[in-house]
Amino acid sequence: MSFLQITGNTLGATNVLILGTLGMFVMAITLVSVVVFHQRRVIRFNKQIQKMEEERQQMLLRASIRSQEEERQRIAADLHDDAGPLLATARLYLNENLIHQEPAVQLQSIFSAKQIIDDSIQLIRNISHSLMPPTLKNFGLEAAVKDLFEKINGSGAINASARFHDNRQRLDDEKELLIFRILQELVTNIIKHSHAGFIHLTQNAQGNLVYFRIHHDGKGIVQKDYDKLEHDSDGLGLKNIQSRTRVLKGKISFEIDSTHTYYKVTIEVPREPNK
Amino acid sequence: MLSTFTIIEYSFFCYFIYLILPKNEIKKFVPIAWGGFLFFALVDFFYVNKMEGFDSFASGIESIIILILCIFYLYLQIKNANDLMIYSTFNFWIIISFLIYFAGTFFLYIMTENMVANVAFQKLYFIINIAFNILKNLLLCIAMTMKMNNTDGTAKLSSPVPDLDDDIFFQQPY
Repeated sequence: MSFLQITGNTLGATNVLILGTLGMFVMAITLVSVVVFHQRRVIRFNKQIQKMEEERQQMLLRASIRSQEEERQRIAADLHDDAGPLLATARLYLNENLIHQEPAVQLQSIFSAKQIIDDSIQLIRNISHSLMPPTLKNFGLEAAVKDLFEKINGSGAINASARFHDNRQRLDDEKELLIFRILQELVTNIIKHSHAGFIHLTQNAQGNLVYFRIHHDGKGIVQKDYDKLEHDSDGLGLKNIQSRTRVLKGKISFEIDSTHTYYKVTIEVPREPNK
Repeated sequence: MLSTFTIIEYSFFCYFIYLILPKNEIKKFVPIAWGGFLFFALVDFFYVNKMEGFDSFASGIESIIILILCIFYLYLQIKNANDLMIYSTFNFWIIISFLIYFAGTFFLYIMTENMVANVAFQKLYFIINIAFNILKNLLLCIAMTMKMNNTDGTAKLSSPVPDLDDDIFFQQPY
């Protein structure tokens, strides 16, 4: 009886040992497998995100290059189609045969040439202004934005107003230009697409941040639409806004107010004092 | 004398895990666990086992602490996942060699003290111990091979580098 009990105990202990060892081994292998597969999945996910970010950067870069090229083409077309013929015509008036003409004809030719040269100067000035608004360069962002809004107001189609609350500390010239371009693009989009009756811009600063908010009562977009359009749309406008905001290390948000009456676009830019 | 082996084995493992763990609370726990276990193993060796027999109790505790540290190391690898595949580091192979070895021999060691006289158990003991020892050594071999590969010279470019000094064409007038 005692022998049987010992044998039974031994068998039980052996079974415990075998099962325990197998169980622990399986657990260890499972643990290692879980760690390896989980890490692989995390790495794959990270790579996917990285790839998406790279694609996004590429898209913004391409948009920026395309925008530059379009700008160059526009300037080239303006110079070629407008300034070129004007100057050629002026040259015709001032040819060598002019000295053999009657004084009255000479005066008339010189007057016409002067008129054409004045037009050319105005044309070149317009091209130059479109590249870098002189008001922005000389008087800063506030003056440039107000000037832009006054021009829009002058057209009579839309009521535009701008108010700067705290602009005592000016931003870098480069930053001001980027902000101006973003605001210009936003205002152009509102005029083109929203059929708004008014546009109002407000500027304010808090701590190290400067805020610009555009209100309008037209058909606007909210953040979700902006994210979608910025990714999917072929248009350069929103991509340029996004890339300029990135350069500024700022943020941009598109909202609709709680009463669903006005759309708001807010830009937040970190401030660095003008050197 | 088996306790001495357990203490040395545990001490080397503690030193290794201390070197590879990033700075955190568990890293501070490693020397404390080492000191505590040393004290416990010596008490077990001199006063409980009276310097004879198999130190099942100390081996069991050693296995549990090592398993916890290994699991914690793997948890940290999941938590702080970087772009490097975990199995491309030799630390990982060393850790899993210890994890598998101590998981596999845990029941064996805690039962040895009471079952050492049993012939059937003795056979099993050798089979299990040798099997897991071989597995551990194989995994350690992989770890060492990886270490050698990692230090085997710098990365080589797949093709010869072309002449990049374009400036020379502009500096030399015709």
